[in-house]
Amino acid sequence: MVSLTINGKVVTAREGEMLLTVTRRENIDIPALCHHDAVEPFGGCRLCTVEITKAEWDGWTNYVTACLYPVEDGLIVQTHSSKVNELRRTNLDLLSARCPNSPEIRQLASEYGVTQTSFEEVPDADNCILCGLCTRVCEQLGFKAISTVGRGHSKQVAAPLKEAPPDCVGCLSCAQVCPTNVIEYTDTDGMRTIWNKPFDLIACSECGKHTITAAFADALSTLREIPRDYFDVCDECRRKELSLKMGSIVAWSQEEAS
Amino acid sequence: MKSRLIVTPNLCTGCRTCELACSFSHMVDGKPSRSRIYPLPDGHADSYVPVVCLHCDVPACAMACLVDAIARDEETGAMILDNDRCVKCMGCIAACPFGCSLLDSEHDMIVKCDLCDGDPICAKFCPTKALTSRPVELTPRKKLVESG
Repeated sequence: MVSLTINGKVVTAREGEMLLTVTRRENIDIPALCHHDAVEPFGGCRLCTVEITKAEWDGWTNYVTACLYPVEDGLIVQTHSSKVNELRRTNLDLLSARCPNSPEIRQLASEYGVTQTSFEEVPDADNCILCGLCTRVCEQLGFKAISTVGRGHSKQVAAPLKEAPPDCVGCLSCAQVCPTNVIEYTDTDGMRTIWNKPFDLIACSECGKHTITAAFADALSTLREIPRDYFDVCDECRRKELSLKMGSIVAWSQEEAS
Repeated sequence: MKSRLIVTPNLCTGCRTCELACSFSHMVDGKPSRSRIYPLPDGHADSYVPVVCLHCDVPACAMACLVDAIARDEETGAMILDNDRCVKCMGCIAACPFGCSLLDSEHDMIVKCDLCDGDPICAKFCPTKALTSRPVELTPRKKLVESG
């Protein structure tokens, strides 16, 4: 265990834990857009930047991303000092220029007092901040269907050759984790379309409710050896089935007892 | 003290007190539809079964979770879902053979029974003792597994 000071409060943490994990446990609100516990820390959005120092550093301070900085004994952390807030404002100013229409970015920027960007807005901007969280989650799931393509100005998140990605199973995880909700999909009439690829949704064999895509169910049954017929019935019908089965067991046992 | 949840279906009257206790203790708004436990009719007149996660020995939910967000708490034996790790692919909901992994669409998160960290609230409120809790020391999970 290591002991460190965050905003004047002494806290303990396990060795090797990242600063952001500790501050979240302590309910300190640090903005972080590109971070998700399911994937390795990335340090892309730079919004979780905090000020660190140590008693032996003679007043010198350093500015690091909390998601990527492992805790150290005797570390003194300031999460909302005026310098840190200034750095965050600059980042949010730049993000506001890149994604002027994103409600999530505008909300976060206004919390830090940035109501309008001081840079030139990107023409024909979309709401993608290029944090790559979608591609990293997709890789973590084992599908690797999408990736970031190009560099600099032309960098974007896309499927190989910008066609319908062959490895995508339509699990929707990329859209669910996207911090600015930019990944579009549609669920209509038992069909899901994401990344321009159509998928069949499984219809519950009892009530007809649509659950996950057939491709995702196939992938789960191959990857994790779950019987494929587990996916044929929806959760609600499963619960009904379980209560009826238990009911018949109770009735049988009462008959046996009498 | 860490306890396990014991369900005795023939004592359940379907009063839904457990639903209220569960949703009030896990969510601020206490909506019964957000509960992790459901008393459902069992096909016989005025007879109900409280349907709740069975914390299976071979958990389909954890097998279906490709980011390993569902793991067993060795102390209580409960399958615990880490919502910070969850990417909401809905795999666990589709895979659970008993339909006990649930989607809370209002808060946009997956919920499932966590045995209230070894102190099940529903058991405390059940008026007919259909739900009771028993200290985990009586049946330590590890010993159960070791003895087969």
